[in-house]
Amino acid sequence: MEIPVIRDVLEESNARARENRAIFERHGVFVVNVMSSPGSGKTTLLQKTIPILKERAISCAVIEGDVSSTLDSERLAPLGIPVVQANTEPFGGDCHVGSHFVHAALKYLDLPSIEILFIENIGNLVCPAEFYLGEHRKVMMLSLTEGEDKPLKYPLMFRECQACLLSKMDLAPHLDANLDLLKSNIQKVNGAIHVLPISAKTGEGLMAWLDWLIAEMSNQP
Amino acid sequence: MHELYIADSILKSVRSSLPCNVAPALVTQVLVQVGKLDAVIPETLKFSFDAIKKSSAMPRAELLITEIPVRCRCRNCAHEFGIDLPVFICPACGGGHVEVLRGRGITLTRIMAEDPEGESNGNTSHS
Repeated sequence: MEIPVIRDVLEESNARARENRAIFERHGVFVVNVMSSPGSGKTTLLQKTIPILKERAISCAVIEGDVSSTLDSERLAPLGIPVVQANTEPFGGDCHVGSHFVHAALKYLDLPSIEILFIENIGNLVCPAEFYLGEHRKVMMLSLTEGEDKPLKYPLMFRECQACLLSKMDLAPHLDANLDLLKSNIQKVNGAIHVLPISAKTGEGLMAWLDWLIAEMSNQP
Repeated sequence: MHELYIADSILKSVRSSLPCNVAPALVTQVLVQVGKLDAVIPETLKFSFDAIKKSSAMPRAELLITEIPVRCRCRNCAHEFGIDLPVFICPACGGGHVEVLRGRGITLTRIMAEDPEGESNGNTSHS
Protein backbone atom coordinates (compact mmCIF):
# COMPACT_ATOMS: atom_id res chain seq x y z
CA MET A 1 0.00 0.00 0.00
CA GLU A 2 1.03 3.55 -0.63
CA ILE A 3 0.82 6.17 2.10
CA PRO A 4 1.14 9.62 0.54
CA VAL A 5 2.52 12.29 2.84
CA ILE A 6 4.00 15.70 2.33
CA ARG A 7 5.87 16.44 5.48
CA ASP A 8 8.85 18.54 6.43
CA VAL A 9 11.25 16.05 7.97
CA LEU A 10 12.57 18.72 10.33
CA GLU A 11 9.12 19.83 11.47
CA GLU A 12 9.67 18.67 15.06
CA SER A 13 12.93 20.61 15.23
CA ASN A 14 11.30 23.68 13.64
CA ALA A 15 8.29 23.49 15.96
CA ARG A 16 10.60 23.54 18.96
CA ALA A 17 12.47 26.48 17.42
CA ARG A 18 9.20 28.39 17.04
CA GLU A 19 8.46 27.68 20.72
CA ASN A 20 11.89 29.09 21.59
CA ARG A 21 11.16 32.16 19.50
CA ALA A 22 7.85 32.72 21.28
CA ILE A 23 9.66 32.54 24.63
CA PHE A 24 12.28 35.05 23.41
CA GLU A 25 9.55 37.43 22.21
CA ARG A 26 7.66 37.15 25.50
CA HIS A 27 10.74 38.19 27.46
CA GLY A 28 12.13 40.69 24.95
CA VAL A 29 15.37 38.79 24.38
CA PHE A 30 17.25 39.37 21.10
CA VAL A 31 18.96 36.13 20.12
CA VAL A 32 22.01 35.78 17.87
CA ASN A 33 23.24 32.40 16.63
CA VAL A 34 27.02 32.61 16.06
CA MET A 35 28.50 30.00 13.72
CA SER A 36 31.86 29.23 12.12
CA SER A 37 34.51 26.57 11.61
CA PRO A 38 36.35 25.48 14.75
CA GLY A 39 38.96 28.09 15.67
CA SER A 40 37.65 31.05 13.66
CA GLY A 41 37.24 33.08 16.83
CA LYS A 42 33.65 32.77 18.08
CA THR A 43 34.60 32.70 21.76
CA THR A 44 37.16 35.47 21.30
CA LEU A 45 34.53 37.59 19.55
CA LEU A 46 32.21 37.15 22.54
CA GLN A 47 35.07 37.94 24.94
CA LYS A 48 35.57 41.26 23.12
CA THR A 49 31.92 42.08 22.39
CA ILE A 50 30.28 41.44 25.75
CA PRO A 51 32.37 43.92 27.83
CA ILE A 52 31.46 46.70 25.37
CA LEU A 53 27.77 45.79 25.57
CA LYS A 54 28.03 45.78 29.37
CA GLU A 55 29.56 49.29 29.25
CA ARG A 56 26.53 50.35 27.24
CA ALA A 57 24.29 48.79 29.94
CA ILE A 58 23.07 46.03 27.62
CA SER A 59 22.74 42.77 29.53
CA CYS A 60 23.97 39.60 27.83
CA ALA A 61 24.03 35.87 28.31
CA VAL A 62 25.56 33.01 26.33
CA ILE A 63 24.53 29.46 25.54
CA GLU A 64 27.82 27.77 24.84
CA GLY A 65 27.47 24.78 22.55
CA ASP A 66 30.20 22.18 22.34
CA VAL A 67 30.38 18.47 21.69
CA SER A 68 32.30 18.11 24.94
CA SER A 69 34.38 20.08 27.49
CA THR A 70 33.64 23.29 29.39
CA LEU A 71 36.72 25.13 28.08
CA ASP A 72 34.80 27.86 26.26
CA SER A 73 32.51 28.66 29.18
CA GLU A 74 35.58 28.83 31.44
CA ARG A 75 36.96 31.49 29.08
CA LEU A 76 33.72 33.46 29.32
CA ALA A 77 33.34 33.09 33.12
CA PRO A 78 35.43 36.23 33.96
CA LEU A 79 32.89 38.35 32.04
CA GLY A 80 30.47 37.88 34.93
CA ILE A 81 27.44 37.12 32.76
CA PRO A 82 25.21 34.03 32.75
CA VAL A 83 26.77 31.28 30.61
CA VAL A 84 25.05 27.94 30.09
CA GLN A 85 27.41 25.26 28.89
CA ALA A 86 25.45 22.80 26.82
CA ASN A 87 27.32 19.78 25.54
CA THR A 88 25.74 17.71 22.80
CA GLU A 89 27.32 14.47 24.00
CA PRO A 90 24.31 13.63 26.18
CA PHE A 91 22.20 14.32 23.08
CA GLY A 92 24.22 11.84 21.02
CA GLY A 93 27.19 14.02 20.12
CA ASP A 94 25.37 16.11 17.54
CA CYS A 95 27.54 18.24 15.29
CA HIS A 96 25.28 21.27 15.72
CA VAL A 97 23.23 22.97 18.42
CA GLY A 98 19.61 21.82 18.05
CA SER A 99 16.43 23.68 18.98
CA HIS A 100 15.66 21.12 21.72
CA PHE A 101 19.08 21.81 23.12
CA VAL A 102 18.46 25.59 23.28
CA HIS A 103 15.07 24.90 24.84
CA ALA A 104 16.69 22.79 27.56
CA ALA A 105 19.28 25.51 28.25
CA LEU A 106 16.66 28.26 28.69
CA LYS A 107 15.53 27.02 32.07
CA TYR A 108 18.94 27.97 33.47
CA LEU A 109 18.59 31.61 32.39
CA ASP A 110 16.66 34.47 33.94
CA LEU A 111 15.28 35.61 30.58
CA PRO A 112 13.51 38.81 31.71
CA SER A 113 16.90 40.22 32.76
CA ILE A 114 18.63 39.44 29.43
CA GLU A 115 18.63 41.74 26.40
CA ILE A 116 20.98 39.83 24.06
CA LEU A 117 21.45 36.09 24.17
CA PHE A 118 24.29 34.69 22.09
CA ILE A 119 24.20 31.05 21.07
CA GLU A 120 27.75 29.98 20.30
CA ASN A 121 27.17 27.07 17.96
CA ILE A 122 29.48 24.11 17.51
CA GLY A 123 32.44 24.79 15.23
CA ASN A 124 31.31 23.44 11.86
CA LEU A 125 30.51 25.19 8.55
CA VAL A 126 28.02 22.55 7.37
CA CYS A 127 25.53 21.20 9.89
CA PRO A 128 24.66 24.24 12.05
CA ALA A 129 23.49 26.09 8.93
CA GLU A 130 20.67 23.58 8.48
CA PHE A 131 18.84 24.14 11.75
CA TYR A 132 16.62 27.01 12.87
CA LEU A 133 16.83 27.52 16.62
CA GLY A 134 14.34 30.37 17.04
CA GLU A 135 17.07 33.01 16.83
CA HIS A 136 16.53 36.53 15.42
CA ARG A 137 19.82 36.69 13.52
CA LYS A 138 22.38 34.23 12.23
CA VAL A 139 25.93 35.48 12.15
CA MET A 140 28.96 33.61 10.85
CA MET A 141 32.68 34.12 11.11
CA LEU A 142 35.29 33.18 8.57
CA SER A 143 38.92 33.69 9.49
CA LEU A 144 41.35 34.88 6.85
CA THR A 145 43.38 31.69 7.10
CA GLU A 146 40.49 29.49 5.94
CA GLY A 147 40.72 30.29 2.24
CA GLU A 148 38.83 32.35 -0.32
CA ASP A 149 36.94 29.33 -1.69
CA LYS A 150 34.91 28.63 1.45
CA PRO A 151 31.74 30.52 0.42
CA LEU A 152 31.54 28.33 -2.71
CA LYS A 153 32.20 25.15 -0.74
CA TYR A 154 29.75 25.82 2.10
CA PRO A 155 27.05 27.90 0.42
CA LEU A 156 24.20 27.13 2.81
CA MET A 157 26.03 28.75 5.75
CA PHE A 158 26.69 31.90 3.73
CA ARG A 159 23.10 31.90 2.42
CA GLU A 160 21.56 31.57 5.88
CA CYS A 161 23.48 34.31 7.68
CA GLN A 162 22.74 38.03 7.76
CA ALA A 163 26.32 38.97 8.60
CA CYS A 164 29.72 37.45 7.88
CA LEU A 165 32.58 38.58 10.10
CA LEU A 166 35.98 38.17 8.44
CA SER A 167 38.13 37.50 11.48
CA LYS A 168 41.87 37.63 12.19
CA MET A 169 42.31 40.64 9.87
CA ASP A 170 45.56 41.43 11.74
CA LEU A 171 47.07 38.40 9.97
CA ALA A 172 46.45 39.86 6.51
CA PRO A 173 50.01 41.22 6.00
CA HIS A 174 51.44 37.78 6.78
CA LEU A 175 49.19 35.78 4.47
CA ASP A 176 48.63 35.47 0.75
CA ALA A 177 44.90 35.87 1.37
CA ASN A 178 43.13 37.66 -1.47
CA LEU A 179 40.52 39.74 0.33
CA ASP A 180 38.87 40.99 -2.86
CA LEU A 181 38.41 37.44 -4.14
CA LEU A 182 37.05 36.33 -0.77
CA LYS A 183 34.54 39.19 -0.67
CA SER A 184 33.51 38.56 -4.26
CA ASN A 185 32.93 34.85 -3.53
CA ILE A 186 30.78 35.80 -0.52
CA GLN A 187 28.74 38.18 -2.69
CA LYS A 188 28.28 35.46 -5.33
CA VAL A 189 26.60 33.25 -2.76
CA ASN A 190 24.69 35.93 -0.87
CA GLY A 191 24.49 39.45 -2.22
CA ALA A 192 22.53 40.61 0.81
CA ILE A 193 24.97 39.55 3.55
CA HIS A 194 26.82 42.22 5.56
CA VAL A 195 30.55 41.60 5.41
CA LEU A 196 32.38 42.94 8.45
CA PRO A 197 36.20 42.61 8.57
CA ILE A 198 37.32 42.32 12.18
CA SER A 199 40.33 41.69 14.37
CA ALA A 200 39.81 40.83 18.00
CA LYS A 201 43.51 41.43 18.54
CA THR A 202 43.78 45.01 17.22
CA GLY A 203 40.13 45.95 17.70
CA GLU A 204 39.71 46.66 13.97
CA GLY A 205 36.07 46.48 12.94
CA LEU A 206 34.76 45.81 16.45
CA MET A 207 32.75 49.04 16.55
CA ALA A 208 31.25 48.41 13.11
CA TRP A 209 30.16 44.97 14.33
CA LEU A 210 28.68 46.46 17.52
CA ASP A 211 26.85 49.11 15.52
CA TRP A 212 25.42 46.44 13.20
CA LEU A 213 24.37 44.28 16.16
CA ILE A 214 22.66 47.10 18.02
CA ALA A 215 20.93 48.34 14.86
CA GLU A 216 19.63 44.82 14.19
CA MET A 217 18.46 44.56 17.80
CA SER A 218 16.36 47.69 17.38
CA ASN A 219 15.11 46.55 13.95
CA GLN A 220 14.05 43.04 14.95
CA PRO A 221 12.42 40.71 13.94
CA MET B 1 27.47 14.61 9.83
CA HIS B 2 23.96 16.02 10.17
CA GLU B 3 22.81 13.04 8.08
CA LEU B 4 22.42 10.88 11.20
CA TYR B 5 20.15 13.47 12.82
CA ILE B 6 18.18 13.78 9.56
CA ALA B 7 17.88 9.99 9.22
CA ASP B 8 16.49 9.86 12.75
CA SER B 9 14.05 12.69 11.92
CA ILE B 10 12.91 10.81 8.79
CA LEU B 11 12.22 7.66 10.81
CA LYS B 12 10.28 9.69 13.42
CA SER B 13 8.25 11.36 10.65
CA VAL B 14 7.48 7.98 9.08
CA ARG B 15 6.35 6.52 12.40
CA SER B 16 4.01 9.39 13.12
CA SER B 17 2.63 9.35 9.55
CA LEU B 18 1.61 5.68 9.58
CA PRO B 19 -2.10 4.91 9.85
CA CYS B 20 -2.81 3.18 13.18
CA ASN B 21 -3.37 -0.20 11.50
CA VAL B 22 0.04 -0.19 9.78
CA ALA B 23 2.87 -1.44 11.95
CA PRO B 24 6.33 0.10 11.34
CA ALA B 25 7.64 -3.38 10.46
CA LEU B 26 5.45 -3.33 7.34
CA VAL B 27 7.22 -0.31 5.86
CA THR B 28 9.18 -1.27 2.73
CA GLN B 29 10.12 2.08 1.18
CA VAL B 30 10.49 5.65 2.36
CA LEU B 31 10.72 8.39 -0.25
CA VAL B 32 12.24 11.75 0.56
CA GLN B 33 13.16 14.83 -1.43
CA VAL B 34 16.35 16.59 -0.41
CA GLY B 35 17.26 20.08 -1.58
CA LYS B 36 20.69 20.38 -3.21
CA LEU B 37 21.37 23.39 -0.99
CA ASP B 38 21.05 21.31 2.18
CA ALA B 39 24.51 19.79 1.76
CA VAL B 40 23.17 16.33 2.50
CA ILE B 41 25.23 13.52 0.99
CA PRO B 42 22.68 10.93 -0.23
CA GLU B 43 25.03 7.95 0.35
CA THR B 44 25.73 9.11 3.91
CA LEU B 45 22.04 9.66 4.58
CA LYS B 46 21.22 6.16 3.30
CA PHE B 47 24.04 4.67 5.35
CA SER B 48 22.79 6.47 8.48
CA PHE B 49 19.19 5.43 7.79
CA ASP B 50 20.18 1.78 7.34
CA ALA B 51 22.23 1.88 10.54
CA ILE B 52 19.32 2.97 12.73
CA LYS B 53 16.20 1.66 10.99
CA LYS B 54 16.20 -1.57 13.00
CA SER B 55 16.02 0.33 16.26
CA SER B 56 12.98 2.13 14.86
CA ALA B 57 11.33 -1.24 14.13
CA MET B 58 11.53 -0.70 10.36
CA PRO B 59 14.20 -3.24 9.43
CA ARG B 60 13.00 -3.65 5.85
CA ALA B 61 12.54 0.03 5.03
CA GLU B 62 14.55 1.22 2.06
CA LEU B 63 15.29 4.92 1.80
CA LEU B 64 14.89 6.43 -1.68
CA ILE B 65 16.26 9.94 -2.12
CA THR B 66 15.44 12.42 -4.87
CA GLU B 67 17.67 15.45 -5.01
CA ILE B 68 15.88 18.70 -5.83
CA PRO B 69 17.91 21.20 -7.86
CA VAL B 70 18.13 24.79 -6.71
CA ARG B 71 15.78 27.26 -8.36
CA CYS B 72 15.96 30.99 -7.68
CA ARG B 73 14.15 34.26 -8.35
CA CYS B 74 15.88 37.60 -8.66
CA ARG B 75 14.48 40.18 -6.23
CA ASN B 76 15.54 42.88 -8.63
CA CYS B 77 14.03 41.81 -11.99
CA ALA B 78 11.91 38.76 -10.95
CA HIS B 79 13.75 36.52 -13.43
CA GLU B 80 13.57 32.83 -12.43
CA PHE B 81 16.54 30.56 -13.03
CA GLY B 82 18.12 27.29 -11.94
CA ILE B 83 21.69 26.94 -10.72
CA ASP B 84 24.12 24.03 -10.74
CA LEU B 85 26.90 25.87 -8.92
CA PRO B 86 26.44 27.90 -5.73
CA VAL B 87 26.54 31.23 -7.53
CA PHE B 88 23.39 33.16 -6.66
CA ILE B 89 23.66 35.88 -9.27
CA CYS B 90 20.84 36.68 -11.69
CA PRO B 91 21.91 35.77 -15.25
CA ALA B 92 19.47 38.37 -16.62
CA CYS B 93 20.40 41.52 -14.69
CA GLY B 94 23.51 40.52 -12.72
CA GLY B 95 21.78 41.30 -9.40
CA GLY B 96 22.92 39.48 -6.28
CA HIS B 97 19.69 39.71 -4.27
CA VAL B 98 18.22 36.36 -5.06
CA GLU B 99 15.65 34.27 -3.23
CA VAL B 100 15.64 30.48 -3.28
CA LEU B 101 12.36 29.01 -4.53
CA ARG B 102 13.28 25.31 -4.53
CA GLY B 103 16.21 23.18 -3.48
CA ARG B 104 16.18 23.83 0.25
CA GLY B 105 14.60 21.51 2.80
CA ILE B 106 13.94 17.84 3.33
CA THR B 107 10.47 16.49 2.64
CA LEU B 108 8.96 13.09 3.26
CA THR B 109 6.82 12.46 0.19
CA ARG B 110 5.68 8.84 0.26
CA ILE B 111 5.75 5.69 2.35
CA MET B 112 5.26 2.23 0.85
CA ALA B 113 4.15 -0.55 3.17
CA GLU B 114 2.78 -4.05 2.94
CA ASP B 115 -0.92 -4.32 3.54
CA PRO B 116 -1.76 -5.13 7.16
CA GLU B 117 -2.82 -8.76 7.87
CA GLY B 118 -6.33 -9.52 6.73
CA GLU B 119 -6.72 -6.22 4.90
CA SER B 120 -5.18 -7.21 1.60
CA ASN B 121 -7.45 -6.29 -1.27
CA GLY B 122 -6.19 -9.19 -3.32
CA ASN B 123 -4.28 -7.02 -5.78
CA THR B 124 -1.08 -6.99 -3.79
CA SER B 125 1.24 -9.90 -4.31
CA HIS B 126 3.37 -10.79 -1.30
CA SER B 127 6.90 -11.72 -2.24
